[in-house]
This record gives sequence, C-alpha cells and structure tokens, in this order.
Amino acid sequence: MTTNTKEACETCPIHDAAALKKLGVDMAEFDYVVALAGNPNTGKSTVFNALTGLRQHTGNWPGKTVTRAEGGFEYGEHKYKLVDLPGTYSLLATSLDEEVARDFILFGQPDVTIVVVDATRLERNLNLVLQVMEITSRVVVALNLMDEAERHGIEIDDRRLARDLGVPVVPMIARQSDGVPELLQAVSEVANNKTLSKPYRVKYTSPELKRAVEKVSKEIEAAYPELPNAHWVAVRLLDGDERIVEALRKGELGDLKHGDLEQRSANLQVFGNQ
Amino acid sequence: MYNPLFALLIAVLLTALGILLFTPERGAFWKWQRTRQLTERVLREDALKHIYHCENHNEIASIDSLAGAISISTNQAAEVIESLQELELLKAEGARFRLLATGREYALQVIRAHRLYERYLADETGYDEVDWHQKAHQQEHNLSPEDIATLSARLGHPTHDPHGDPIPMSDGTIIYPEERIALADLAPDTIARIVHLEDEPESIYAQLVAEGLHIGQEVRLLETSPKRIRFLAGENERILAPIFAANIAVIPISEEPVEEILPGYPLSEVPIGTEAEVVALSARIRGVERRRLMDLGILPGTNIEVEMSSASGDPVAYRVRGAVIALRKSQAAHINVSTKA
Amino acid sequence: MTIEKTNPLDNILSTAQSLRWEIDVDFHEKLTESIYTDAAQIADRATTRPEEKPRFDFDRTLDKIITSKTWGFPLMLVLLMIVFWLTISGANVPSSMLATLLLDTGHPFLKGLAASIGMPWWLDGFLIDGMYMATAWVISVMLPPMAIFFPLFTLLEDFGYLPRVAFNLDNLFRKSGAHGKQALSMTMGFGCNAAGVVATRIIDSPRERLIAILTNNFALCNGRWPTQILIASLFIGALVPAQLAGFVSALAVVGIALLGIFLTFLSSRFLSKTVLKGEVSTFSLELPPYRPPRIWQTIYTSIIDRTLVVLWRAIVFALPAGAVLWLSANVIIAGTSIAGHLINFLEPFGLLLGLNGVILVAFIVAIPANEIVIPTIMMLTVLVSGVTGVGEGAGVMFELESGMETMALFQAGGWTLLTAVNLMLFSLIHNPCSTTIYTIYKETGSKKWTWIASLAPVIMGFAVTFVVAQVWRLIESLL
Repeated sequence: MTTNTKEACETCPIHDAAALKKLGVDMAEFDYVVALAGNPNTGKSTVFNALTGLRQHTGNWPGKTVTRAEGGFEYGEHKYKLVDLPGTYSLLATSLDEEVARDFILFGQPDVTIVVVDATRLERNLNLVLQVMEITSRVVVALNLMDEAERHGIEIDDRRLARDLGVPVVPMIARQSDGVPELLQAVSEVANNKTLSKPYRVKYTSPELKRAVEKVSKEIEAAYPELPNAHWVAVRLLDGDERIVEALRKGELGDLKHGDLEQRSANLQVFGNQ
Repeated sequence: MYNPLFALLIAVLLTALGILLFTPERGAFWKWQRTRQLTERVLREDALKHIYHCENHNEIASIDSLAGAISISTNQAAEVIESLQELELLKAEGARFRLLATGREYALQVIRAHRLYERYLADETGYDEVDWHQKAHQQEHNLSPEDIATLSARLGHPTHDPHGDPIPMSDGTIIYPEERIALADLAPDTIARIVHLEDEPESIYAQLVAEGLHIGQEVRLLETSPKRIRFLAGENERILAPIFAANIAVIPISEEPVEEILPGYPLSEVPIGTEAEVVALSARIRGVERRRLMDLGILPGTNIEVEMSSASGDPVAYRVRGAVIALRKSQAAHINVSTKA
Repeated sequence: MTIEKTNPLDNILSTAQSLRWEIDVDFHEKLTESIYTDAAQIADRATTRPEEKPRFDFDRTLDKIITSKTWGFPLMLVLLMIVFWLTISGANVPSSMLATLLLDTGHPFLKGLAASIGMPWWLDGFLIDGMYMATAWVISVMLPPMAIFFPLFTLLEDFGYLPRVAFNLDNLFRKSGAHGKQALSMTMGFGCNAAGVVATRIIDSPRERLIAILTNNFALCNGRWPTQILIASLFIGALVPAQLAGFVSALAVVGIALLGIFLTFLSSRFLSKTVLKGEVSTFSLELPPYRPPRIWQTIYTSIIDRTLVVLWRAIVFALPAGAVLWLSANVIIAGTSIAGHLINFLEPFGLLLGLNGVILVAFIVAIPANEIVIPTIMMLTVLVSGVTGVGEGAGVMFELESGMETMALFQAGGWTLLTAVNLMLFSLIHNPCSTTIYTIYKETGSKKWTWIASLAPVIMGFAVTFVVAQVWRLIESLL
C-alpha cells in the first residue's frame, strides 16, 4: 500500500513540497495539497467542515478565518491535505488577508484550488474565480448555497458556467453535505491530471492596458517559457508589484518541475514568515 | 497630613509643563529637536531645491530669494551659496548663480525623496492631505539612497506624487507632462481637468483642499477678472482669488458637450430605494481605501441600489453586485453617480 | 542559473516600467473593471433570474425593523440586557457549585492528602495554598459566565444580527475616530478583554482596529464585576436606607461600567487624533444575509474556540500568580514578609491616591487575573493589620461569607468611603491583565502598542484616583 502510493505519486503531485513546508504545511503523510479559497460569507468554512469532518467555527462574518485552518481527507487511493485560506473579495493584495491567500496559491503551488462561490451572488464571486484562474489553471469551482439560490428563484446553469470558465463546476449545499462526493471526484480528477482545464482569460477593456499586458507577457514568455501564468505576472509587473519582481529574480516562479528545491525553499522563507 | 490643594496645584503645574513641552508638533521639545536637525546639509539641500525650481520656472535665484524661501538670514544664505560653490554644485555668474550638472542631479534626488515620501503618505498612511508636505519636507533630508530605492520599490515605483508632479527617476531623469496651463489662463467656457495642485505655500494649499478641489477633477471656467476667477467644479460653482487660482494647473480637454463631462452627483444624495449608476470615484478616495472599494465591485458603470439607512442615519447600506455593503456618508460623497431616467 | 536569467528579467522590468508611464494613473481601476465586466458577463449567461421581485423578502423586512430609527436601538438594548441577564443569573449556580467543589472541598482535601504523604509545609503551601488556590479561584469565577456569554454572543453573530448592530452604532463610533464593529469587540470585552481583543480581527481597517485593541480594557470584564459588586454593596449601599441599598449599589456598578464606555470613546478620540493619526483608515462593512444558526454546533464550537482558549491562557497565568502570592507572604526578610515590605513601601503613594499599600500590592499580584484582587486584598489586610480569627494563614486567599465580617476587616485595614470609591475606579482604570497583554502582543505583533496598551491605563488610573482623592479631601476639610 505504502509503496503503491509512493510510486503513484512520483509522477503525480504537482505541489512543491519544500515550498509548502516553508509555508507551514507539513506534507509528510499526504499526497496532494488542496487550497480552499472564496469570498467571505460563502460558506467556505462549511465546505471545509463537510470535507474534513472538523468542526471549525463558521461565523456569519466577512473575513472570519484569519488564522489558517488545516485538515485532511482521503479519497480514492490518495490522501489530501486541505488548507483553508482567508476569505477575500480579490487577490490584488490590498490587505494582509489577500496577500496570504495570494502567496499560498502562487508559491505553495497547491495541486488543486477549490474556489467556493455563493450561487446567489455569482457575479461578485466570479471576480475572485477569474483572478485565481489567472494564477493557476488547477481550479475547481464549488457552487455553494444552491438552496438559497432556489429560494430566491435564481436558476444557475452549472454546465454552461463550467464551459464558460473552462474549469469543473460542482453545485452543492454544503450545510447538508449535498454535492460533497461530486466535489471530491472533481478534485481528484484535477489532482491526477484527468481533467484538462482551459481556464478563461480576462479580456482587458482598455486598449492601452491590453497592449501593455500583451507586450510584457510576450517578453516574459520568451524568457521563461515554462511559466504557466505569464499573463498574470505581466499584470503584476505593470502594477509595480515588487514581490513578484523578487520572486522572478530568485527563480521562485521559474518552473513548476521538481529540482532546485533547496534554493527555492530558502527564498520562500521570506514569504512564509510574513 | 499634607494639604490636598497643594498636591493638586503641583499636579496641575506638572501637567501644564508636560503639555507645553510635548504637544505634538508645537511642543517646545519638538521645536528644539527640529532646530537641531536644521543642519548645514539640510540648508544646502533646501537651497539646491530652491535654485532648481527657480531655473525651471525661468526665475532668477538670488541670495535674497533664497533667504526668503527657506527663511534664513541673508548672511546665512550667502554662506550656504559659498559652500555649494566649494562643493562644485553651483557656479556663480556675477550676482546670479547657476546649477552645475552635479548640483542639478543632487536637487533632483532630494525632490525624488520628497515626492516619493508624499506618495507614501498618501497611499499607505492616514495622514491628512494638509500634513503631507511638512512631513515629506522633514523626511527628504533623512532618507538615504537605499531608503529611497526601497521606498520606491515598495510603492511599486510610482510615477507621480499625489499633487500630480512627476517623480524624478533614480537616474535623475524627469518626464514633464504635456502642456499644462494655469486655471486663470483658460478661455471662458473651456472644460479642463485639474492635473496639479501646488502644495506650497501651505496656507493656499490648505484652502484649495478645503474647497474640495483635487487632481483629476473636471472644471469649467465661467469668468476671469483680475479680482476673481469663477468656475464650475462638479455641480458647484466656486470663486477663487487669482492668487489661489494660480496654484491650480489644468489641461484643457476636447470640446465635448458639458452634460457628458459633469461627473454626476454624489451617491450620498441618492434617496433610499433608488438605483444609480457609478460614474466615477473621486480622487479624494485614495490609496488602500480606493482599492478596497474597487475590489468590492464599486466601479464606473456599476449599478448601485440604495438599500437602507442605519438607525442613526449615517452609514447607508447599498446593494452592490448582490452584496449589501455599508458606506459612510463621507465615502459615498466621493462616489459620483447618475440616476437613470 | 539565476544569474543567467537576470538579463532578460531586467529587460522585462524596464519595458514594464516604461509602459507604466503610459497607463499608470488608473491601472488598478482599469484592471478591476475588466475583471468585473467579464465576471458579470459569465454570470449573466449562466443565471436565470425570476421575472419579478418576490413580494415578500424576509431579509429586507427584518432589516427594515432592525435598522429602523424607532426600533433599532431599543431592540439592541433589550437583546443586550437579555444576554447579560442570562449570563449573570445563569452563571450564579454553577459558579457557587464550582467554588464549593474546588475551594471549600477540594482545598481541604488536597491539604489532607499532602499531610498524609508527609509533604513539607513549604511545598504544600507553595503548591496547594498558592498555585492551586489561585487557579481554582479563577476557574470558578470565570468559567460559568464565559461558557454562557460566548455561545449566546456567537448565536447572534451566526444569525447575522451583530453586523447590523455595528451598522447602527457606527455613527457613534465614527465621531471618536473608531469603527462601528468596535461595539462588538467592546461588548465581547465585558465578557473577557482577551476575547475582546481577539474579536477586533473583524475590523479590517488598521487604525480602527488598533483603537479597538488599545481601548478594550475600559470594558469592565467579567473578572472585575465581582470586585465592583462587593465594594458597592458594602460601602455605597450602606449610605442609603436598607430598602434602597440594593438598588443604589447596583446603580453604582452600572455607573462604573458606563464610565468605562465613556472612557472608551474619550480615549478612542484621543488616540485617533494623536498617536494613531498616521495609520491607514478604510471603512467597509458587509451586511451578510440572515442565516438560521445551528445551535448545537455553535455551542460546541464557541466553547472550544473561545471559552476554553481564554480559560487555558488564564490558568497558565494564574498558576505563577498564586505561587508569587504565597511566596511573598511567607518569605520573611528582617522580620517582615516580602509582601509586608512592599506594602510599607507603597503605603504613602497609595494614601496619596486615596487607596493604600495593600490595594496597590494586590493589584500588582493580580496582574495575571483580576478575579483574585479581592481575596488577595483580604489576605494581605489580615497579614498587615494583625486581625486574628479570620483567614486561613499567610498566603492563602479567602472570602468571608457575611458582609459584616468583610466590612469589619476592611475597617480594621483603615478603609474609608474614599478608599472604596477609588478602589472601584482603579479596578476599572488600570492595566489589562497579563492574559490580555499577551493577547494584545499576539494580535498587534508590536511591542510599542503592547506597552502603550498596558501603561496608559495605569497612568490614567493614577491620575483619576489622585484627583478624586484630593478633591474629596479638600471638600472634607472645608465641611
């Protein structure tokens, strides 16, 4: 059994074990790491509890989870570590919460990122989904609070949504554990590379912005062909995000393959400690 | 037993002394500290800045103008000029003097420090607009080149200070914006955008801020006379004395019909139960607060429904993209909206 | 490898930097606009909304009542009173049960056990009289009210009522430079200041959060209520005819709590105008939809999350406090105990403030937990006044069953009405307990703010008691 898992995971895990360790996640007994993101007040903690069985307090407050909660679950042959990120509206690093969430997705390189979405406020929540998808394509959208949506007479075509976003979308009612098996299935498929995501890319309305992003991202692609999110990095550089410059300089974003771990984890300490 | 009255008196005296000494900014202790910091280096840097500004505005810098600008005696001013010459930053040509290339670069570095620090104060602290200049003026002499580089990186290498002045780059180049003109020089009925509010002297700047003027605001000139300048800013008519208007620089914008340019009216004036569409966030909302509101989805074009007012009337809750978000009157007053007919 | 890559990177950076001059000013605006525009489009394609708005909307109707000018505030007061009433009346029985179990039964039992195994007197005193007693005291006073208060509070929070309270009260707090959510951290502070400080996390604006942390101490916490109630009923109640005594002393305690609220506003305003002037301030408050709370889960998690965490920290700090107290009363130097020396040293200062040396020493010993102020004062009074027949020996905390006996003991210690009034004032206005100080350090991560939060209230307390004492004496001398 043990050897089995090990063999299976020599090829599969995408996550960067050393980087995760520096971010405070012990991956000793786990095969995959799954990050849980979402707007405040979308039932993110309820999803967390439904998956892990832990009873973390789920307050009806925006921005409740300030300290990070972690738990684990098993599905199929694999063990997953679930990390609950602070609830944020955006990942543009305006507040500490947003920075923590952003850094985890960017540097921790989770195998899957679940974004919990409030079905009754889809537009507001998709803002975050689109931003997460700019950083990583390994995304599963948990369309939560379907019961509330129904109560308000809102109908959501989840297949249409999945097609438009280019990532799996799982409708659920986390309070009643509805949709949990489907979510687990979707997560495992993304983790094991059985689903190929083609995430939607944001179109820039302003022509100057579009031109600038294109120009910079082309240069980035040429210099770092292995970078999965050149587009996003270009936007961050144009916004003058010094931490991204630093990360590029130190090669933390350089590739997603294993190797060169020590050097990278040494760099990550700076981020992990903040 | 001691006399309680006596004890009280001593305590009152001690408190009064403490207040006299340590009142922020005005306390005697702080004043003493400031004079102590007024070293030769500070004088030299202030002098370089003054001469730089004079050269830029095609004015003649003299020992008298220098003494006046940084409030020192003419003797002191002469000494400073002499030391600048010794350091080969300056060349005297008879009664007037000219900056050498090194002096120019030095002056630009000080200006860079000043404007970067103002940007920092505007974006990352809660200090009032009126306090920025004074604080930056103190800091510009204390920041080392490394500090300046770090600060610039941390702020994401900003290009302009909060008053609209370009920040010189680390190599000393400075990019001046397109032809901007003083508000008073506009032809009547032209529409223009404010691009710069001069922050010196402080008293005039404070008045401009108090009038609610800010960078990015669109104005329409109504009348100029030697006595007063009358113009529309938003929906309100303002009247300024020429000396105040001279400190406002604008860029005329193309001749579009006025209706489209007037940026609506404040969200705080929309009645409860009504829907409105955001036209613009005024520049008065800045830094973290601006980003926060935008991340919440309050952007030009967003539909906002005024949901309810709190029991005490002030924060009002708005429905924005599905969520109910409370904003204070002071914030809503700076979000310009238009209501649909 | 990194060095090789420096060159292309620098090129990229300079491209980005030069482009920034073209797009800089409203970059963030254009960026968020683009993302939201696409989000709206995608959401729109996937969603079908009902043709017309439903005629009855539960959330809106409820919000209309809760935030109405007529019903908003009364409703809030009523709910607050219910929470307090449930806490006080509900905690009485378990509190006295715990006291009987841990203090009246547990203490003699442990002493007997120690004697039977032949433990030396000093070890038995240090461990049982010192450490055990202090901890037992803190648990019996603190645990029951917290185990009731926090779940009740959490239920209101989960339902979605508390954000509306913050919404209604924001106007009041805004005027002193604070955030409406401070109303909640303050109310939480009435239960426990350490929990109140943790609760400030819901305030996302840096300046307002610091204000809420620094002023939370003025919310009269659960550990200080017993002191206020005891002193008020003994001294203030005695001023009026017996049938009014209960009412007047209750009024005095409420008055102290209100003074605390007033000081919260006053110091919030002062802080926002001075030391905190430069901190960033942003305001946003989301009013989430109402959701039915899940009662059992809430009770379970709020006990785990809040009550036990806070209780554990209190115990960690109470253990050494008990040890120090016992040692200070039992280590004799030059004929007097350490506590005696300290009391003598502080006596003149205490008298100047209208207090006395015993009270000041008790407040020093009780820094770890306000709950033990009264038992410590009584033990120390016996120690220095030489009263016989009361108490259980040097370093052993106790309380007396009857008010008469307690009053007699205080009078033997030289107490006057002024001492009582100033003790009540000083109990409100003094440094936070060490649990709270530790929590403040954890939450702010700054030594500077921790120092300010700890020292500023003590200085204020000294100033207030000093002025009251002098004016009091001045009036007395005139009469």
